[in-house]
This record gives sequence, C-alpha cells and structure tokens, in this order.
Amino acid sequence: MGLSLTIWRSDMSRFVIWFALVSIALLSPFVGAASINIDDLLHFDSLSSSIFFELRLPRVAFAFLAGAILALSGLLFQTLFRNALMTPYTLGISSGAVLGAGIAIKLGLTSLFFGLGAMSIFGFLGAMFTVFLLVYLARFLRNSQQESLLLLGIALSLFYSAALMVLFYLGDTLQNDMLIRFTMGSLSVIGWVYPLVLVVITLILILSIYLFRFELQLLSISDESASLKGVHTKRLTLFLLIVSSFAIGTLVSISGPIGFVGLIIPHMVSKLYPSSVDKRILKTALFGGLFLIACDTLTRVLDTQSELPIGIVTAFIGGPFFIYLIISRNKK
Amino acid sequence: MIEIDSLSCRFDGTSVLENISLDIDSHLSILGANGSGKSTFAKSLCNLVEFQGSIHLNSHDVKEISHKQRAKLISYIPAKLEVYDPYIELFEFVLLGRFAYKKSFFEYTHQDRQIALKYLRLLNIEHLKNHTLHSLSSGEQQLALIASALSQESDIIILDEPTANLDPYNSRVIAQHIKALQRSHQVILITHDLHLAAFVNSAVLFFKDAKADFYKNNFFQNSVLQKLYGVEFDNLAVRYE
Repeated sequence: MGLSLTIWRSDMSRFVIWFALVSIALLSPFVGAASINIDDLLHFDSLSSSIFFELRLPRVAFAFLAGAILALSGLLFQTLFRNALMTPYTLGISSGAVLGAGIAIKLGLTSLFFGLGAMSIFGFLGAMFTVFLLVYLARFLRNSQQESLLLLGIALSLFYSAALMVLFYLGDTLQNDMLIRFTMGSLSVIGWVYPLVLVVITLILILSIYLFRFELQLLSISDESASLKGVHTKRLTLFLLIVSSFAIGTLVSISGPIGFVGLIIPHMVSKLYPSSVDKRILKTALFGGLFLIACDTLTRVLDTQSELPIGIVTAFIGGPFFIYLIISRNKK
Repeated sequence: MIEIDSLSCRFDGTSVLENISLDIDSHLSILGANGSGKSTFAKSLCNLVEFQGSIHLNSHDVKEISHKQRAKLISYIPAKLEVYDPYIELFEFVLLGRFAYKKSFFEYTHQDRQIALKYLRLLNIEHLKNHTLHSLSSGEQQLALIASALSQESDIIILDEPTANLDPYNSRVIAQHIKALQRSHQVILITHDLHLAAFVNSAVLFFKDAKADFYKNNFFQNSVLQKLYGVEFDNLAVRYE
C-alpha cells in the first residue's frame, strides 16, 4: 500500500510537472508587452503576425534550445568530473565568454564577420580559451582532486570579473550599458538565424553525448573503473569537454551568461527519474528547454514594460538551490 | 603469464617499487605492510600508474595495447566499491564488464546480457539484479565487483584486499569464490589476511620497503612467518575451510 502510494505520487508528480511546463511553453508565444490578436495571426502582413512569427516564436525556440544546451552541458560536466557542482558556469567558462564579449564592446568592434557579430566571436573565443586553460591547469592536479578543479574555475571567474571591472572603469556610458545588458543574459532574438544556429549546436551536442552514453555510464562510476573496463578516459573527457564548451561558447556569445540551469536541471531530472545517466540524456535536454521557456515567460509576465533579464530570474531560482545542494551534499 | 622486467615506480621523489623482475605463471598472493608497494605493484600491472621498466601480459606489452585490449587481458577488483552515480543497477553494472567486447556506439548484445546474467547467477546475486548498487550490503557490493570483473572474461584477475571491509561470514563467502576462481583464472590476490592467503595457497610475493621477495611454496612454514612477522601461526587456512 505504502509502495503503490509512493509510485502513484511520483508518477503523478512527474505528470503534473511535465504538463505544467508544456502548457507554459504553448502559452509562452502569446505572452508579452504587445498583445497578440489571434484572428490576425494568419494575415501575414499584420503586426500581430510579425510579432508572433518573427519575435515570439523564434524567442521560444531559442529559449528551448538554450535550456537544452545548458542542461546537457551541466549533465555532461557533472558526469565527467563526478561532482554535482561542476557546470560550465561554475568552472568559469561562461565568465570567459562574457569577458571576450566585453573586450569586443570595449574595442568598438561591432562590425559583422560572415554574418556573426564581433561580440559573438570574441565571446566564443573567451569560452574556448578558458576550457583549454582549465585542461592545461588540470594536468598539474591528480585525478582525485576534482574539488581543486572547481576552485580553479572559481579563481578564473574572479579574475575575469576583475578584468570586466577594468573594462567598466575604462568604458564610456554607451559601452557600459551594452556590457551590463550582455552580462544579465537575454533570450531576445529577431528572426530565425540564431535559433537555427542553436538547432545545429544542440544536435551536435546530443549526438556526441548519445554516441558515448555507455562510456559516460562507466565514467559515472569512477575514472579508474572506466579505464579498467576499456575506456580511453583522458581522450574521451577532452573530446566531450571541447564539444560542450563549443556549444556553451556559441550560446553565451549570443545570449550572454544564463546561470544555474546546468546545475539545477540535471539534478531535478535525476530526482524525477532515478536511473543511470544514459537514460537521462534526452529527458534532461527536454526538461532544460521547457524550464528555460518557463523562466523566460516569467520575465515577460513579471514586468511588461521592459522585460526582466533572464539571467536574473535563473539566478534567483538557482542561488538558493545551489546552497541547498551544497548543504545536502555535506549531510551525506 | 605475466613477465615483469626491472619495474620501478616513484611518487614525489619517494621510491615505491624498486627494480622488480619476475615471471608469474601461476596464482599469486601479494602480502606486506601498508605502504610497502602492494597496490602500486597491482596497478602497474594494469598500467594505471606511471612506471619504469616493462610488463608483458600474455606477451602483450601493457604500455602498448589499447584500453579495450587490456580489459580483455586483466581485470582489477578494488577493495571497496566507489560509485558516483547512485542510481546504477546491479545488472547494468555487471554488464559494463562487457564494454571491451561491445562494438563502439552500439548497444550491448543479447549475448553480453546472457554472460552478465551467468555471472550474477554464479555468485548467487541474480535476485538483486534490479537493485541499485547503493542499496546493497558491503558483502553484496564485493560480489557485484567480482561479477563485473568476471564478465570481462580476462585471463588474469586481481583482487585488492577483497575481505578488508567484510564481516567473518562474508569474508568466508568471498574466500570460497576466490578459491573457485583459481580454476578458471590466474588469480593475483593482494591481502593482509594471512588466513585468506594460506587458504588460497598460492605462491607469495612479500613486499617490504619497495622491494619484493618471491616464495614459491614455502611462505607458510613457521620459520618463514616467524622471521617476517615475529609470531608463529598454526592452521592459518582453517578459518575459511
């Protein structure tokens, strides 16, 4: 009786959570400062139609894909390093992208290279530089010193923050305004170019993770165990780190940093579906995507004049969650 | 067959293994005090630590072969199960022993699953196959580690202090399984448990201060034990009979 009650409750809670997230996602394109006239939607020259198809839908798609990339990268980092606090955000990779974008703004580089903004390119380079720096520095750590890697990430983040402060100090009002907006994160996109870029990135990320799902299952036990059973752990870890940093670097260079999604979502999915990591890949991507749509919808519901930056919403949810995670980890 | 030539190993300037040369063609028990180099020796056999010299497993240089080839030649069972992912089930865990045989990117085959089941049955833990590893007792976890190593179907199997964390009952169960393993594998046993070593009755490699002495069949004579441990032991093997 007790057991069946638990199963019913857990199935029920899963259903309620998915139902709520999908409902919000479906309603999301209709929420915002300008109201959409549903009758006008199929009149493609109407304002409602333009807002809906050129702003709202691309934004929802962008939010979904961004959430999926953040959550998958979080899952990947946590599995590769066997540490629930490891994400591209906590390791300073997002901060690297922000600093890169900041440098582009300070240098006044706004021109486009091959259709991509200079900010995006510099942001991407900042993320990749940080990954290679971390990989280089990690060579000086023993395998067991995962906590030290986390501390290295925090040290890098602090260093990048200081460098960003210098940029603020030297910047003029317009540059600083651009920089502040960027550091708060935004899912606002016009048209379908950026969502399509993320489609490609998400597919590459999911495919890479899926192809190596059994290797990840072994790595989720221990590095030594994976190596003993036949996984070339160093090569695989480096490959997956580069793929996910490529994804994160591209995303952050467009959206700015969006914290905590990579931390919260893999943890929540593992609570909802307590199974080994290979069975959680797609669920994590879906859940992350829907979660970020819900957060983005919240930004438009809360403040309809000039929407609240998404990074603030995820940080307000994620900060307390981070504290909970650290405390519950120590309890063990 | 394991051929070791001039094996040396240093950590942070301290010599852990010094110039060990040895051919091992039978079962072996490795004994010695804590920090005498036993585990480092076993890990060098699996190329898990950096070392000088050469080690050949069935004529393959352990530094030259791929990770998968190595997994087919030698398996290593740690003293204690350490798992980051709390949700992995026993059957999935044992199936991971088949990784080296699996085609890259593909699922485990029906045959792999049958082999994993066979070893769960052999160790009498088939009824636990859907339990998560964290929910198993220490004794069951040790059996899970053995089952996972067995499904690797390697010729050589290393057990690193298999009874260190177990109560007398479970120690006896594991000891009986190790004895049975000797019929199908070359068993390398690292232990502090003299009773267990006497029970499996293999040749002994005794480590002291980074050096190793080999005793083909006279280790358990009282004169030798008296010299090495300063105490006499009677009927050591009885505990696990």
